[in-house]
Amino acid sequence: MTRPRRDPRAEWAAQFVAGAGLRPRYDRTRRAAAGRPRRDPRSEREAQHVGAAARPRYDLGQAGRPLGEAVVAPPRSVPEAPQTIIVEAPAFLVAVVPDAPGGRLSGHDRQVLGAARALAGREGAVAAIVEGACEGLGAAGADRVLRLEAAEGYDPAARAARIEAALAALAACHTLFPESLDGGDLARRVAVGLREPLFTNAEVVAAKGLVRPARGRRVEQSLAAPRFATVAPDAVADYAGPPREARAVPIDGPTPLPPKRILSATRIPADPATVPLSLAEFVVSAGNGLTDLDSFRQVVAALHATPGASRVLCDAGLMPRHSQVGASGTVLAATCYFALGISGAPQHLQGVAGCEHVVAVNTDLHAAMIERAGLAVVQDAQAVMPALLRLLAQETAGRATGAGMAP
Amino acid sequence: MRIAVLLSAGLHPVSGAPVLPRVEAQAIRLAAGLGASSEIFGLHAGPEAAAVAEALGQGLDRIEHVAVAAGEDPVPALVARLAERAPDLILAGRRSQGGDESGLVPYALARALAMPLMPDVVAAAAAEDGALRLDQSLGRGALRRVLVRGPVVVTCHPDAPAPLAYAYGRARRGRVETVAIAPVATPAPALAAEERPYRRRPRIVKGAPAGGSAAERLKAATGESGPAGSGRLLIQPDPEDAAREILTYLRQIGVVAAPAEPKT
Repeated sequence: MTRPRRDPRAEWAAQFVAGAGLRPRYDRTRRAAAGRPRRDPRSEREAQHVGAAARPRYDLGQAGRPLGEAVVAPPRSVPEAPQTIIVEAPAFLVAVVPDAPGGRLSGHDRQVLGAARALAGREGAVAAIVEGACEGLGAAGADRVLRLEAAEGYDPAARAARIEAALAALAACHTLFPESLDGGDLARRVAVGLREPLFTNAEVVAAKGLVRPARGRRVEQSLAAPRFATVAPDAVADYAGPPREARAVPIDGPTPLPPKRILSATRIPADPATVPLSLAEFVVSAGNGLTDLDSFRQVVAALHATPGASRVLCDAGLMPRHSQVGASGTVLAATCYFALGISGAPQHLQGVAGCEHVVAVNTDLHAAMIERAGLAVVQDAQAVMPALLRLLAQETAGRATGAGMAP
Repeated sequence: MRIAVLLSAGLHPVSGAPVLPRVEAQAIRLAAGLGASSEIFGLHAGPEAAAVAEALGQGLDRIEHVAVAAGEDPVPALVARLAERAPDLILAGRRSQGGDESGLVPYALARALAMPLMPDVVAAAAAEDGALRLDQSLGRGALRRVLVRGPVVVTCHPDAPAPLAYAYGRARRGRVETVAIAPVATPAPALAAEERPYRRRPRIVKGAPAGGSAAERLKAATGESGPAGSGRLLIQPDPEDAAREILTYLRQIGVVAAPAEPKT
């Protein structure tokens, strides 16, 4: 970040003393309101003085706590709630079709909304087309929201037909999709259905144009913003400005759907015991603070999680090497990471960097993992594990008796 | 059952040498797993047939080659040939390798042939009365099992079982036939993009301030400045309370299922 540019003339004018005779006079002790406050090293040193012994002692840990008023920091203004930006009559629309699994925007969806925001600029508006309820669209950068009715079951052709109808009603200038499994599939169906070319896997999205890799990343192709494009993951930054309006746009009646060819579709969840650590959704990890690995394995099984470990346990041979989390082990992409008895070395934290939620149990209040965690418990993990197991067992027992008593 | 496996002339991602894309070799394995009684053939549309001869060693006995000039859209020729042969299942890779890598050909084919398309399949099996049971990858090891009837276009996902080992004898015995086709002219929409050498771009680190110091970027990289960085802290709670808090938190973020209500 650059410092604000100084305006020496304005500073002189502010220091001018009016009515002081013929000669212009300036009060150089007046300071400009902005800028860093002046340090007073003497008073800082005085503030570090401890006790009244014959030999002076200074507590150097107390940095920047001055006694005098010379270096009092200006009171930091409380950031007011940002204003919602409203685009009343947009010059053009950029449509976005986020995946929004479970009615929640994924990180990739936010990036696509950020890309659409960059494409829309000041005059345009971003319209998100979602199915069912979806929260946080305004904060992610959507000016308009087109809510389609949530469909039952898995029928990608019908979904593509609905999106095609919505896009025709919206008359959007550009349409962006995430290049994910579902989003990439939908984008190709819609583009082929509307007989439009599709610019896939864009890594740069700007008003000037889009860029994508091709031919095994030997060349890159650039193009002024096309009508349909998909955006690669982790290539474009999220929208970071103040929230947008996310005004609901009415949608007219149901669209004719193609005939159903899928007889049935069932979801088979991943088996947490066999899924590779880098793909796991929920990882429970053991560190050097654990001695009882049997109850650790019981906790992992009871929570339906994938087991992980720190380097120390893997080096000691207590856990298999492929379960090591961290820079020299596996870098996780989990939603939640539950660390038991792990202090959090920097190399370990690098492996956890991609995790959205972290829960830590550790005896050391000052451990880095406690600082990183969304829920930090300063307690012996050896004591917490049996308590967790008891709680889970009580719940299952309660359910069993409840089911038994029911008529 | 008649199965067509679409083959593309791929280039190796590192060396740039001509190679059969791995995901198409996996598609051949999927086709081979659907029963010995089925007739499996490869189909390639391109200027040269030699580009896909490697697929013979990966488990195909016969490849049909439709001559299409370099740089021309292969979809009309493929549609014409597939309409003639009318296979029950068309298997394809997910993306080409070494070309435009847009992955649009299977979709254009499915549209032109009016067939349903199932993307990202990792396993296929024949179900009763002519239906197919397909397992789609949903990422993170989860699957979706779909039962679908009738001729269907299927794209294969890289998580499918590894391809069969290359067999030299099969590659010698197999044959590539060139088929003459009069394609129905359907001009495919194309993008006139400008090309230049690829330039690597840094991955976006979430929450990293633009132009921040190295310490701030490290904090963003280790996730210490994110929303998780300002969490709840319980100091020396009773273990039972701690367990209850942890379980509530895990249920709140949705990684642990809520305790099921007793059934009535």
